[in-house]
Amino acid sequence: MAATAKSLSAYYTALRMILDNTDQFYLLNEQLYAKPYPSENREQVKKTEAELEERVELASDFSTLSGNFGKLTGSTAPADVAASASKLEGEVETLASVKASSVEQGALKAALQTLTTAAKEHKEREAAKAMDDAVKGLSDLFAKEAEVWNSAEMVYSTIGSTLAGNLVDGNATDNAALLKVALDPFGLSPSTASADLNAQLAPLAKQQIAAKKSAMDSDYLQASNAMATSLDEMSQRIHTVAEDKPMAFRSAPLSVSTVEKWTSQIMSTGSTNTTATAPAQPASKPAR
Amino acid sequence: MANALIEVQTTFLSLDSQYAMLRAACKTDRDRAALAAKYAAAQKNYQTTLNQMLKDDDTQVAALAKQLKAANAVVNHATQEMGDISKVIDDLATAIDLGSKLIACV
Repeated sequence: MAATAKSLSAYYTALRMILDNTDQFYLLNEQLYAKPYPSENREQVKKTEAELEERVELASDFSTLSGNFGKLTGSTAPADVAASASKLEGEVETLASVKASSVEQGALKAALQTLTTAAKEHKEREAAKAMDDAVKGLSDLFAKEAEVWNSAEMVYSTIGSTLAGNLVDGNATDNAALLKVALDPFGLSPSTASADLNAQLAPLAKQQIAAKKSAMDSDYLQASNAMATSLDEMSQRIHTVAEDKPMAFRSAPLSVSTVEKWTSQIMSTGSTNTTATAPAQPASKPAR
Repeated sequence: MANALIEVQTTFLSLDSQYAMLRAACKTDRDRAALAAKYAAAQKNYQTTLNQMLKDDDTQVAALAKQLKAANAVVNHATQEMGDISKVIDDLATAIDLGSKLIACV
């Protein structure tokens, strides 16, 4: 559960970075390619970011809840109770040789067992019941909003890849980086490409942009599906505990690692908020 | 609503990807201004629809935040009670231990 809470928080944070980067793309497009980005449109983007911020807070509350539930189910309290009850039962046995009858011993033992069982299981179930609806609500909200976030990611990758392609067309990139694959094995580095070489490599640069864009979309969809699966699985586990039996397994859902992989990719390519210093004007000035 | 989002997204992304070509085809400033206005409107439609869909969820988000906080209070309470029960049993064990020693002395 802690792993899922952590993933959800990271997932929403990565989405927030995607929105922030989209805002930066719009600003660059306006500056370089005369694509308007009126302030009222920017306000809408900021509104989306504010909505997302609420989801980040929800994920944070969920993380706190997860931590507290972990204290309950993972604490030594149940073990302490069991150890104490066992000790107590031993003490009851010593009474046998003195005054207490076997009936009294049996009653006391039964009471101790009930108390121990209640302590070990009842609280976990009680807590799980409290969490059941909340976690299901979180899982439902995530599923309901999936299309919104899918769209935000698609717009981010498409606007970004078109912008990158325009920069390649405008000779604003150093395409010699594509030569690394041929030179690295021999311990050599590419020099700054001449205008001719840059132009020759432009089609490959655009192929790379297209391939990376497809990979970004695919990785995101896998992460989004994995997040939904993790939330659903966790909701079912908690529901099981809340309904009748103790949680039988507590390992992190496998799908969490897929989410972590995507969020770390996004965070590593995150915005640096340097729009104020736009890249150098392309050699051949783009249509403006 | 989801279909509406896909529609406005498609329009906006299509215009964005063809913008350079369309702009190059514009012969007058008036044409360029008209194209820019269309682009701004398509961008606004998309961003507004996105927010409208999220705004519809505001009540759900607020209710969920309340639920999570309430659940957290219950779990916290249960955790504290669990600790108390352990202590009570320990105290009982000590009392019975003392009791049995006392009885043994009688």
